[in-house]
Amino acid sequence: MALARRELIQAAFGLLGNLGISSAMGHYAGQRTPGKAKRVISLFLAGGPSQVDLFDPKPLLVKYQGQRPGGVDLRTERQTGGLMPSAFSFSKRGRNGVDVSDILPKLGGVIDEISVIRSMYSFNPTHTPASSLYHTGTILANRPSIGSWISYGLGAENQNLPSFVALNSAGPAARSAFLPAEHQGMPLNVADGEPEKMIPNLRNKKLEAGAQRRQLDAVQALNRRFGESFGGDDYLNGRIASMEAAYRMQFEATDAFDVRKETAETRALYGETPFGNGCLLARRLVERGVRFVNVGSGDWDDHKDIEAAYKKKIPAMDQAAAALLTDLKRRGMLEETIVVWGGEFGRTPVSESGTGRDHNPYGFTMWVAGGGFRGGIAHGATDEFGFKAVENRVSIHDLHATMLWALGLEHTQLTYRYAGRDFRLTDVFGSVVRGILA
Amino acid sequence: MLRISWLAIVMAGGLWAQKDSAFFETKIRPVLASQCFACHAAKLKAPMGGLVLDTKAGLAAGGVNGAVVVAGKPGESRLLTALRYTDPHLQMPPAGKLAEVVVKDFEAWIAAGAVDPRTDPAGGEKSSALKGMAVEEGRRWWAFQPIAVGAAPAVKNRTWARGKIDEFVLAKLEAAGFAPSGAADKRTLVRRAYLNLVGFKPTYEEVEAFAADASPEAWPKLIDKLQALPQYGERWGRHWMDVARYGEDNSTAEATNQPYPYAWRYRDWIIEAMNRDVPYDRFVKLQLAADLMPDAARGDLRALGYLGAAPVYHKDQRLSADVIGGFLADDWDERIDAVTRGLLGMTVACARCHDHKFDPIPTKDYYGLAGVFASTARTERPLFDVEPAVEARYLWVQRRLIDLRYSANLLTGEASTVVGSEQRVAKWKAEIEVLKEEMLGLQARYPQLVKSLERYWTPPAPRGDGQRRRGGTASTEPFANAVYDAAQYVDGSDAHYTFLVYQPGESRDVPVFRNGNVATPGEMVPRRFLSVLTRGESRFGKGSGRLELAERIFSDGAALAARVIVNRVWGWHFGRPLVATASDFGVQGEAPTHPELLTHLAAEFVAHGWSLRWLNREIMLSAAYRQASRPRPEMMKADPTNALVWRMAPRRMDIESYRDSLLRVTGRLDHTMYGPSVDVEAPENLRRTVYGRVSRNRLSPLLKNYDFPDPMQSSGGRDLTTTSLQQLFVLNSPFLQDAAAAVAKAIEGVPTEGRRIRELYRRLLSRDPDAAEMALAGRFLAGGTLEQYAQVLLSTNEEILWP
Repeated sequence: MALARRELIQAAFGLLGNLGISSAMGHYAGQRTPGKAKRVISLFLAGGPSQVDLFDPKPLLVKYQGQRPGGVDLRTERQTGGLMPSAFSFSKRGRNGVDVSDILPKLGGVIDEISVIRSMYSFNPTHTPASSLYHTGTILANRPSIGSWISYGLGAENQNLPSFVALNSAGPAARSAFLPAEHQGMPLNVADGEPEKMIPNLRNKKLEAGAQRRQLDAVQALNRRFGESFGGDDYLNGRIASMEAAYRMQFEATDAFDVRKETAETRALYGETPFGNGCLLARRLVERGVRFVNVGSGDWDDHKDIEAAYKKKIPAMDQAAAALLTDLKRRGMLEETIVVWGGEFGRTPVSESGTGRDHNPYGFTMWVAGGGFRGGIAHGATDEFGFKAVENRVSIHDLHATMLWALGLEHTQLTYRYAGRDFRLTDVFGSVVRGILA
Repeated sequence: MLRISWLAIVMAGGLWAQKDSAFFETKIRPVLASQCFACHAAKLKAPMGGLVLDTKAGLAAGGVNGAVVVAGKPGESRLLTALRYTDPHLQMPPAGKLAEVVVKDFEAWIAAGAVDPRTDPAGGEKSSALKGMAVEEGRRWWAFQPIAVGAAPAVKNRTWARGKIDEFVLAKLEAAGFAPSGAADKRTLVRRAYLNLVGFKPTYEEVEAFAADASPEAWPKLIDKLQALPQYGERWGRHWMDVARYGEDNSTAEATNQPYPYAWRYRDWIIEAMNRDVPYDRFVKLQLAADLMPDAARGDLRALGYLGAAPVYHKDQRLSADVIGGFLADDWDERIDAVTRGLLGMTVACARCHDHKFDPIPTKDYYGLAGVFASTARTERPLFDVEPAVEARYLWVQRRLIDLRYSANLLTGEASTVVGSEQRVAKWKAEIEVLKEEMLGLQARYPQLVKSLERYWTPPAPRGDGQRRRGGTASTEPFANAVYDAAQYVDGSDAHYTFLVYQPGESRDVPVFRNGNVATPGEMVPRRFLSVLTRGESRFGKGSGRLELAERIFSDGAALAARVIVNRVWGWHFGRPLVATASDFGVQGEAPTHPELLTHLAAEFVAHGWSLRWLNREIMLSAAYRQASRPRPEMMKADPTNALVWRMAPRRMDIESYRDSLLRVTGRLDHTMYGPSVDVEAPENLRRTVYGRVSRNRLSPLLKNYDFPDPMQSSGGRDLTTTSLQQLFVLNSPFLQDAAAAVAKAIEGVPTEGRRIRELYRRLLSRDPDAAEMALAGRFLAGGTLEQYAQVLLSTNEEILWP
């Protein structure tokens, strides 16, 4: 990492190496893995979706309904009752017959693209630290998110757009912490719809493009004169280049961030819902070279009335997530795009208040698709009630390590020197889960 | 009271003797090879946990926590504990528990004596577990050596140097075969001085006044004048706020880590202290321990914002004692990191889980400091005089009421969430009533104390409402976010609800938490200072030990503390500190480019009473500082990072200087000092950026885009990046447009176009345009407006450059 270190020193003092165009370079200096993926779309269901209702069928819940047999007395955030069967039935889907809840007909239809990981586990039963762990690999609030790490490691593909965008996401999802500011996720609220409303200062509200170009030409003429008299400083030249990039970004971003430019067929495929628009926008962005897009989805914290809540909100999620895979595939982008789906934890197989489910970090389901991951498989298993991951357990660090591997990055070698040590996304943990890689 | 869950000691049963090495070869080695070597091999640079399993010596030596196999005693062998997956914090391999039959094989193998027939290659006996420098060896590390005013090295060029700083700089340049740059012109110098000392650009008149003063005293006079301005404290106070990770709230705004309504008073105190040139050693001691210093004024309690408005994590009290204890330990860790990196340039937080892997910092040193912060509690302290016994009681009651009210709100209406919620809530409410009655007794003497607590006994608001103070709700009540001495414990006696317990006036030690895990406490460590810096006895005996810690930093640690702050100040003048890693003077940090200069300047700094103002002046009077900043092609190749100080490094202004300068040149800067913070991006906010709100939760995107440091942690220096998002701000933001409109309006009455252009240049760039620039402007104005051209000038590189 000698080179990266030197760049760091230069960057820290605003000298060379940190020009507006430097973000085009990735800083990863480690061994390349065979992974071929280039981009990531992360679908984050904040609050924690329920595995036993969606991807991890547990017939024994019916037999032991209302009871608390041995092994289900794990402590969660709140007081829980007896086992509560899922209100939804499951069917075998895809070429390998993976069990998927019937409330997910569309995701069931694309299950052959998906690696379902039924053996995820986490360390903390509270939203904030668990979300932080999900996004940054630690419960602490001062470490960079996976999107920032990937942006830092791989650099930007498109200099006219930010390399990391966080849609409808809060807090740790966009955090760059000690990584340089250019790797922070650009936080956007998709509900605002129009790009000009989503991105501050994206467009000039006073000048037409022609007048602005004329103004910018005048700025650059003065900048060139100043640069000549000063003596051709790289920093000054870099500022000239970044000004041009910003000018282009106005137009490129206005286009890139506008889902209204999609065909009616495509918009209908995703559904014109907040999550549908988020997924569609994510596809538009990765199509244009954005490295990492996190799409946040509202309230999945169903402490009560989970059946009614799921009947209401699952269809939009199901449609949008499935549409994303279908659309990426038909555009030939799925092979190079990792799509990851999940929440900061899952939910308990035991009931809370009789109709809901409590937080469950002991075992839950996430899934990964595209980007060199296998499809049509279920990896790992929870116990007979779906409470605790017991077979081929996968931690958040393992998942992060595997995603980096799929992107060509060895997780132990993607490091950043800060406060006296080389930090990693996976800290001192993580091992690549070979079983889900193609 | 910390509930301790020891490692489960699992006894092995049904053993069968197996001393045959074949057992190892067939049952043990293949498992180690397939499951363990990936992370625990001698060839790895940093094997996980310092444990090597592919050599006999490595297996015998164990890892950072000691032996992993005790021959004949499976119950004491951590390797087996890990394989059994019974301890939630020690589970190997990480991908999942191995088959029970494999675990049984390991148990049998250990019980039979853990025969390891491997023969390691020559040299392989040495454990490759990474070990840091021994403390004795560490005492010889350069950064810890005593400081003394140094003899100036011999230099060939006898005319350039103006003082000793220059002789040190020149000697290095000459040794490398280089020469310094010539002096910057006066108009550049005055601009540099304004930006550096008060944080905004000079006006045209200020530039010309300096340029016209031909006396040799003009430069020192300018420095004196600028240092005497109140804006000096705003500029240098903000530098310190980077180190102090100043913030006004927490990363989340939950019930137990609400915003700090009085953080702004800490900021004001810093600015005042900078303007009074409080000696640096006292400046720091007040921030650590003003409440324990007999000669500190009541108003100095504001300084305790350094600890009292520090980042903390939310603690949902429904979680177990171990989880809450972990969060609490994270809070202590935050203080240890801020204090040791910020004040001493030492990365002590690296020693939380094991001895420091590079520096002479045993993990016990870490826990010696942890005890200080485990004995220090956050609070809101009155700034008016209160009888000490009453204040002590008040501070405890305040804390207790916060916890009781939070708990009662949390469990009200969510009766199902914790067993027996209703009884608990009733009990807590009863206690609130008792405390209320007691506090109402203070009404006559201390009505403000009573008022400050009223919110805790008003009828319970539904969870999530009422009690929460979101960012931006600063208070002007006479209180400060501060600390006081109180030992903190986790009360795990109730299996369903965890309380933090505060014992005012008491202190506590903290045990080593093995692997940093509060559930695996080890040896108790007395509160004390860092071994490598200590001369003689280093235990703290007075209360929390905060004052002793502060005093030790400036006695035993004085040489290092002086080097660290002198190095930072050098960086705030030159752009690059002499030790590039300003918060890490350890083995992993950068070596100093000019160690003798740093030592010399640190000694002079101490001799001059730790005066930052003296240090600014000494540095700025040097010829090194007054150099031109132009690139010299041969030097750009030879030393692109300016490590040898062959020029003044030109750089982008930081966001504070940039925003403040734009407001000032357009005649709109509001110089009002002090008071609650204002949203830095609000259009009506025309105050200096240092008075902008600093949220750890939602940091202003403007600040973020311009590399404002993360207020969650002490900053070792800012990046100064150039990004397209910054340029979008320049191209399109209402802030720039308003600035342009304001200046255009101010000069629209100037009679001729030529004079308007000249006025625009004078106001925005503090200089006159040359003929070519007049012509460019004239061509633009033929098809555009004055306001548009004002924005052109505001958008130029010249506008944002530190020259």
